[in-house]
Amino acid sequence: MARVRLKDLRGLKVVVVHPPDSDGMMMREQLMRIGCRTDLIWPVPRSLPARVDVVFAGLFFDSQEEIKAMLRRAEKPGPTIIGVVDYENPAMLELLLDIRAMAAASKPVNSFGMLTNLVVARATWREQQETQEKIVKLEKKLIGQKVISKAKSILMDMHGMSELDAHKMIRQQAMGKRTSIEEMAQAIINANDLLSAKPEDV
Amino acid sequence: MKSTDAPVTLGFLFSDTGATSVIERAQRLAATLAIEEINQNGGILGREVRIAGRDPGSDPVRFRAEARRLLTEEHVEALFGCYMSSTRKPVLREVEAHRSMLFYPTHYEGFEYAPGCIYSGAAPNQNARWLADYMTETYGHRYFFVGSNYVFPYELNRIMRDLLSNRNAEVVDEVYIPVDPTDEDIDRVISRIQERTRDSGPVIIFSTIVGRGAVMFYQAYHRAGFDRSVCPIGSVTTGEPEMKVIGKEASIGNVKAAPYFKVIKSEANARFVSAYLDRYGPDIPLCAESEAAYFQVKLFAEAVRRVQSFDRDELISVLPTFSLEAPQGPVRVDEITHHTSLWPRVAVVREDGEFEIVREAPAPVAPAPYLVELDDPIVVSAGQLRGSTL
Repeated sequence: MARVRLKDLRGLKVVVVHPPDSDGMMMREQLMRIGCRTDLIWPVPRSLPARVDVVFAGLFFDSQEEIKAMLRRAEKPGPTIIGVVDYENPAMLELLLDIRAMAAASKPVNSFGMLTNLVVARATWREQQETQEKIVKLEKKLIGQKVISKAKSILMDMHGMSELDAHKMIRQQAMGKRTSIEEMAQAIINANDLLSAKPEDV
Repeated sequence: MKSTDAPVTLGFLFSDTGATSVIERAQRLAATLAIEEINQNGGILGREVRIAGRDPGSDPVRFRAEARRLLTEEHVEALFGCYMSSTRKPVLREVEAHRSMLFYPTHYEGFEYAPGCIYSGAAPNQNARWLADYMTETYGHRYFFVGSNYVFPYELNRIMRDLLSNRNAEVVDEVYIPVDPTDEDIDRVISRIQERTRDSGPVIIFSTIVGRGAVMFYQAYHRAGFDRSVCPIGSVTTGEPEMKVIGKEASIGNVKAAPYFKVIKSEANARFVSAYLDRYGPDIPLCAESEAAYFQVKLFAEAVRRVQSFDRDELISVLPTFSLEAPQGPVRVDEITHHTSLWPRVAVVREDGEFEIVREAPAPVAPAPYLVELDDPIVVSAGQLRGSTL
């Protein structure tokens, strides 16, 4: 079962990029009640302050380029983005998707609902971060597998050995040279490319 | 408690100054005429109707402040007005906070419902869709979009892009200028159109520029010498009041889609036009936005008469139950969307500087503010298109 850990939210640095009108003030006050470190910034700054965890981004058609540019410049991994909107038409919704918002607050902003948005958006963001890391790891592993299988077929061709023996050979070589199987396999591929090159290819 | 003889106060939100004052003044005149006619016929529930409302200057912040003042200090029974979506939006917050009503007399981009708002202008399926059909069938398939930099042009252009793409037309460029543009902003747009024309041939203009900017743009487009029999400007916004300022020469050939044009031939419209011209003189222009401002006051009065009350919930439930004979034809508020069934039309400005209606819906079209078009074309057989040039 999922657990909401409010103390995780209290340490967050949250920036509200919105005019200091009743909606802007309401968001800032409610975030302060929740216990986040909060800044209200307007007009849209060139870039966000350092180490921002969450951005409540006020979306307006006439400042959309500035908001997009500001978020593009954010340090990686980017902050959790919550859009603040007062129109529900597809042009606005496209803008919301463009900035990769994890949630949206609609105007007039209500103090009720801010915490819900924050929790859902932050959890979705974290999950996405973890999924992303997992994907990077898996991609790396997949590439490694391809390299190993190519190296094995080189050895099988060259020495007429079985797949199992080719695998053993690569593993022993890797152990002997104190390197990973993937690196050893890559070395075998490189050596093979070099040795099978004809003089006119150079 | 109010005595029964005390006047009824209605709040008007129409700008006398600022970027969209030309059209909003026209709306104010039409709404005022409706109230004068109501007073001549004994007022509302036997009480005289009084108008309150200061100039909100085409500015969203002032619109909201004026709405609040009208609701809290003038104790108005309902609000009428707003042109730009950016002014309607903040006004609706006050309307909902005070559980009042806004009658909004302007076509807009759709995708909204507020319980206290009655939308009497066209939704995109009642104007843009008809314009897209007419333009692609009559002119061509390469379009250049130009709009003011606020919500309505962005969303309407997105809708228009879909409509054109469903008709195998393409959009070659999309440019935005400030709501209150300078001559340089306009020049920039004109050179961009010239550039596109040089690069790859003529383009047809779809304009969502509002107010003063539209006047400046239409005049500049004329000065630049584009042939409007081939490359007209099409819009759902620029009509008779703007054309009066733009001038006849620069208006000829341009196209507008709207539910109302002054030239409609019907008894209801003849009455409206003659009352309007008697009241304000022969030179005061009439347009779709002013007709909506006129008939929505009548809608309100009729609803009050039917329920004998100003109670918001009662008015909202009775409004969809009757049809009103508006100058454009019979109209009716839709119970689910609070928008209005209207009569889509397309008109072209002819040599005499007047609109000629070239296409007309054979029956009122229901509003679809959340959906403009599925894949089907408008189902109207050619025989039903009165006055069509096709």
